[in-house]
Amino acid sequence: MSGTIKLGSIFAGSLGAVAILWFTLALPWPTTSLGNRYQLWSISLVVSLTLLCFTFELSWRNMLRLLGVLVLLGSILGRLAIIQFLEGDKTPLDKSNIFAILSEQGSLGIITLGAALLILTGGIDLSVGSVVGLAAVTFGTLMEMGCPPLAALAIVLLLGVAIGFTNGLLVTQLKLQSFLVTLCGMFMFRGFARAINTSNTGLQQAKSNHPEFAESLDSMRALLVGKAANGAVEFPATLVVMMLLAAIVAVILHKSAYGRYWFAIGYNDQAARYAGIGVERQRLSVFVICSTLAAFAGILLLLWGGSANPSNAGNSYELYAITAAVLGGVSLKGGECIAAGLILGALVQPIIFNWMSFDQIPDSAQLWVMGLALLSGTIADELIRRFRRRAKG
Amino acid sequence: MRVLALMAFAGLLATLPACTKKSGSGKVKVAIVTNCTADFWLHAEAGAKKAAAENDVELDFRQPKTQTVIDQMEIVEALLKQGIKGLAVSVINPEEQTPDLTRIAGQVNLVTMDNDADKTGRLCYVGVDNYLAGKEAGRAVKRALPKGGTIALFIGTTTSANSKDRVAGVLDELAGSDNRAEIRKGNFQEKYGVYTLYRKAPITDETEEAKARTNAESALEQLKNTPDVAMVGLYAYNPKAILTAVRGKNLVGKVKIVGFDEDFDTLDGIDKGEIEATVVQDPYQYGYVSVTCLAYVAKGGDKTKIPQKEIKHRLVTKEGTMIKGVDVEILKASVFSTTTRESLAAVK
Repeated sequence: MSGTIKLGSIFAGSLGAVAILWFTLALPWPTTSLGNRYQLWSISLVVSLTLLCFTFELSWRNMLRLLGVLVLLGSILGRLAIIQFLEGDKTPLDKSNIFAILSEQGSLGIITLGAALLILTGGIDLSVGSVVGLAAVTFGTLMEMGCPPLAALAIVLLLGVAIGFTNGLLVTQLKLQSFLVTLCGMFMFRGFARAINTSNTGLQQAKSNHPEFAESLDSMRALLVGKAANGAVEFPATLVVMMLLAAIVAVILHKSAYGRYWFAIGYNDQAARYAGIGVERQRLSVFVICSTLAAFAGILLLLWGGSANPSNAGNSYELYAITAAVLGGVSLKGGECIAAGLILGALVQPIIFNWMSFDQIPDSAQLWVMGLALLSGTIADELIRRFRRRAKG
Repeated sequence: MRVLALMAFAGLLATLPACTKKSGSGKVKVAIVTNCTADFWLHAEAGAKKAAAENDVELDFRQPKTQTVIDQMEIVEALLKQGIKGLAVSVINPEEQTPDLTRIAGQVNLVTMDNDADKTGRLCYVGVDNYLAGKEAGRAVKRALPKGGTIALFIGTTTSANSKDRVAGVLDELAGSDNRAEIRKGNFQEKYGVYTLYRKAPITDETEEAKARTNAESALEQLKNTPDVAMVGLYAYNPKAILTAVRGKNLVGKVKIVGFDEDFDTLDGIDKGEIEATVVQDPYQYGYVSVTCLAYVAKGGDKTKIPQKEIKHRLVTKEGTMIKGVDVEILKASVFSTTTRESLAAVK
């Protein structure tokens, strides 16, 4: 029973689910006009979901990897629904709360995509959180110094490319372990963030220094994170940005030669080398993708939160990203990854935090719950490998 | 197996709610969101719980896992969907959070506490003036080293508004002038009056107590041949970290220590004569006054007649006796330590 099920039925089912979501949240329908940017985002969401559905192979093997996270998400959603219907004054399924969760999922999902690709090819990036922080601080500081928002965005993305390139070169050319290189990077990039700005940086500061940026900055904020100037979430735009990126990753991963190279490298890099794959070049490109996505997430972090502290912006994000990737079906040993799973994995952490707030679970419990989630993921990962090996042998 | 493990985890999650506090008591709900997780906030929680019991309201006391606007606002936004009628927030970044908090002040009664954001339309601010409190610490340094000397400032971070004000207060008091604007921008001088500022800047530790101790040890090593040294710890754990380092190098009494906040180790150090003094806020009152105010308004009280109570910083010394030039309440360390422990225990 390892064959694929008809793609058409998956697509129809997914569209049905999207339609229900649309009705529930009363989102703007994509068919009316293109005047509203959120309608454009709605179309993008549908296109991304379609691409994700078409690249997803509904085999027993994939289902096994994703069923667990689905059960986890389903049980938390169920609990939120119980709260919604039994405790009248609490409204976790309110549109604005769902938007908040989906937006958190979006920004976490973007770094998860990069982290997952790196884990897939047998590497790891512990500097992701610091890169997110450095990017957020650089983005804010550049604007405070008079760099227009769009130019600042481009510079920060280039910074991400440069960081990924450096990490990648150190790993592929000097043959250093990615764990160590990125561990050093974690300290260095945090240090750079603190050296760039000793104080908090933020959108209000940039606007008060340069009132001429206010309009473009507000539009950028509305477009990329869906927030109005007063901070109200109008649309989970971050989710759409993440979905678009996930769809691109899905096509590369599951439908292109590059994807096959990456799976091969992660599964057995020596064999991949003998097969004529440019292992080092492929690994370098994945490092660049990972850091660039982290830098982009840093930009979104500043736009979403409005402010970034050089000392702690993006702290521990690398761990959240790795957790999300593992829960989404990535094997820490490399060679296994499902693009659609990453989206689900990235939803776990935001929804757990949200649920804990509604159930008034003490703040001190939050970290052990995340830790337990990662642990159960890795234990299950190991057990399923042994189970399969035994079944084969 | 993977599915089984995750299902077991999901099952565990599903059972957790059964252990937690159930709401739906019909009481008015208010919430407090702090700026970080710290012992300091235990005192505020104690005060808040007492006020909640007195006013018959339900309280949700939340501490963000890190001192970031994002973590704090995530908690605040989730609380807004939980039917709260009032919210007290220790603002992390007043300027950047003003638009969000202004919107929130339009939805629920908002009180700022510990750190203010005065343009948000909040009902009131509950907290001490950190600049004046910093000046009080500066006066304590002047009493310990009246002829001048070298001072080392230790603090978790210099990015938050209250930390900047505290540092500015200490240095302005020593210099006898007003350099607030420059200090807030992070521009420091080497000399403040007859005092030399070690490393020409406050030493930060990212709110990590272990790093605070290493910082203090390293400063003591570098200042070992310098006469007349005072070390000022401006976050709650800093005086304790300094004291541990000073004890480790057998310099108790030689290096003067001035602290901030009411960590029990700091109070014990003062009682033993190892620390000169500490400037305390009144976190218990922060919690108590915030909840009292929110409960009053939520129950239909007149917003223009909010029960105001000015919260002033206080000074804790070994003797607790009057000091010339100090116009705030002075507390005796041993007595203050006991009463604080009792008020915490009473709530737990």
